[in-house]
Amino acid sequence: MSNKIKLAIIGIGRMGITHYSIINTHPAVIIKAVVDSSSLVTNLIHKYINTIHTYTDYNDLFENENLDAIIICTPPTLHYPIAIKAYEKEIHVFSEKPFTTKKKKAEELAELFEQKHLVNQVGYVNRFNDIFKAVKRYINKGIIGNVINFKSEMYSRTITKSEEGKTWRDSRENGGGAVFEVASHAIDLVNFLIGKPDKVTGSCMTSIFSKNVEDAVNATLLYKNGISGTLNVNWSDESFRKPTNKIEIFGSQGKILADQHGIKIFMKKKSPENNLREGWNTIYITDVFKPVPFYVRGNEFTAQLYHFIDCITGKEKRNSCTFRDAAATLEILEAIFNDYELNGKF
Amino acid sequence: MQPIDKIIFGDNQFFGINHMSQEKAQQLAETFFDISNILKTYDHAFEAGIRAVMLNSNDRAKEICDHFRSNKLNYPAINWYPSIPYPRKYANLISEKGIIPTINEVLFKGNSSMGVLGMIAKGSAAVFGKDAIKMMQMLIDVEMKIFKGLNVKVIFLQNIITDLLLGYDVKEIFIGYCNYILNKYEVLPGFITQNMPMLKAKLESWGIEEVVICSSFNKIGYLMSPDIESYVSVAKNNDSTKYQLMAMSTLASGAISATEAYAFINRQNIQSVVFGASSKKHIEETVSLIKL
Repeated sequence: MSNKIKLAIIGIGRMGITHYSIINTHPAVIIKAVVDSSSLVTNLIHKYINTIHTYTDYNDLFENENLDAIIICTPPTLHYPIAIKAYEKEIHVFSEKPFTTKKKKAEELAELFEQKHLVNQVGYVNRFNDIFKAVKRYINKGIIGNVINFKSEMYSRTITKSEEGKTWRDSRENGGGAVFEVASHAIDLVNFLIGKPDKVTGSCMTSIFSKNVEDAVNATLLYKNGISGTLNVNWSDESFRKPTNKIEIFGSQGKILADQHGIKIFMKKKSPENNLREGWNTIYITDVFKPVPFYVRGNEFTAQLYHFIDCITGKEKRNSCTFRDAAATLEILEAIFNDYELNGKF
Repeated sequence: MQPIDKIIFGDNQFFGINHMSQEKAQQLAETFFDISNILKTYDHAFEAGIRAVMLNSNDRAKEICDHFRSNKLNYPAINWYPSIPYPRKYANLISEKGIIPTINEVLFKGNSSMGVLGMIAKGSAAVFGKDAIKMMQMLIDVEMKIFKGLNVKVIFLQNIITDLLLGYDVKEIFIGYCNYILNKYEVLPGFITQNMPMLKAKLESWGIEEVVICSSFNKIGYLMSPDIESYVSVAKNNDSTKYQLMAMSTLASGAISATEAYAFINRQNIQSVVFGASSKKHIEETVSLIKL
């Protein structure tokens, strides 16, 4: 019991609810406390799980609890001050994306957590999706030769009605808008699979329903080595039942098309050692999935949190999807904002 | 415990749900946009001898239920296996508005049938906010409205909700659900899960019996946490007078051929199979292959 990782969750919204359920099943973890600005939510948890301490202010959490790890699921603008507090107390941190709203702050946190060797991870969950992991293996092996260009897309039906502009999602300052919420996933996937772009151009941001933020984003991503790609994101697209990432990568020896459910690979020449024939090949999630100990919403959600815990216990040596990775993603998000301000307006 | 139907016709194919391929899901959604195509498929299922239907309380379920309610005489006696709720509806609302406004909207807005209760609680989840069981009961009633007048056998809690709650490890919620379904609706409570071994162990430790557990069950272990071996052994040692087991995702979204899939399923100690198919040929083939 005393050897267990003492953990708290800050922010019990949609992601906080899911993370609680998953992490609570990890045998090495004991949830000590939750924090939410709504006392209704904390009261409800306390009533049914009376061993859990509840707070409406995260400052009280750090003052009163002796913790090993926290999961941050607050609106993004609070990620930084909470992570700083955790750093001061030498607490390992899993933060939801986009991980702060400023590249500079994200880099500062990456630096601090690396110095103290604290486990630091951000919820770019696609990096733990079995399909995208397989795509990464194919690209690293050079299955499609040299990458030449790509398309990264993400669609969801997050905002489908006119917004009154009252929630944090409708404020860029608080980390709302389709760039922070949705494009961040599509860009992180590019960073993960191909590497960080060197330049952003042709950015366009469109409001569809939101009052103060963008609902759709386009941009062109360029690399010094000649690779180029496009980004196309829309969080007001009702034709998608679930949030969906799509990536298309064209290479000198073939092409990969992938979403969370499957991969299609076109091969110029067959590759028997990789079980790929000339022409089209299809790989389904059922071909590459790795079962997880407990399932809610998708294998990747469990895989990412168990990875966080395994890094703390030392079972896993290589911390992935780190603050450093998230800072690189934020750098591109900021580049899109800047490019649009400078070049995208008439 | 009353035995459940051995073969139950599912609904994923109608609603653009396919775990393996979004393209396939989209094609199906197009085909079944027209409810007459849905009804035609049900006809094929009934012609093949199926007398049981599982239906999730999503946006389209209402028109299906309406049809079967108003045309009862044109159909054989059908047993209904609703699964509630349609979680995306709530997930989207929570994303947009937050938890409390979502509860308010679902429970109290445009829900005049709540009568006195609705008036007390007018516009405020706060009244019931401290009582999750009460809120759950109200949500069940909201979700079950569309099935009124149909012959319901089991009311299933949909898997995202079951598994989410399972992670919280709160006995009272599970007991509250089962008691409410038993007492108010007088049917068997059911749980759909992707974590069958863990759920069953928890239900046993909480003393909850006489429930139906529906879970993915297929030869390749797809959507079966923690692993296929645990499923096979839990089913093997199961006392079906306490827990009836129902298999879903038997074809692993099409990764396994029907012949292979049911050769495996028929060897397991399982009481029932729910499957979805969209063609007459596939429905008939599946029915002929299931031998529980």
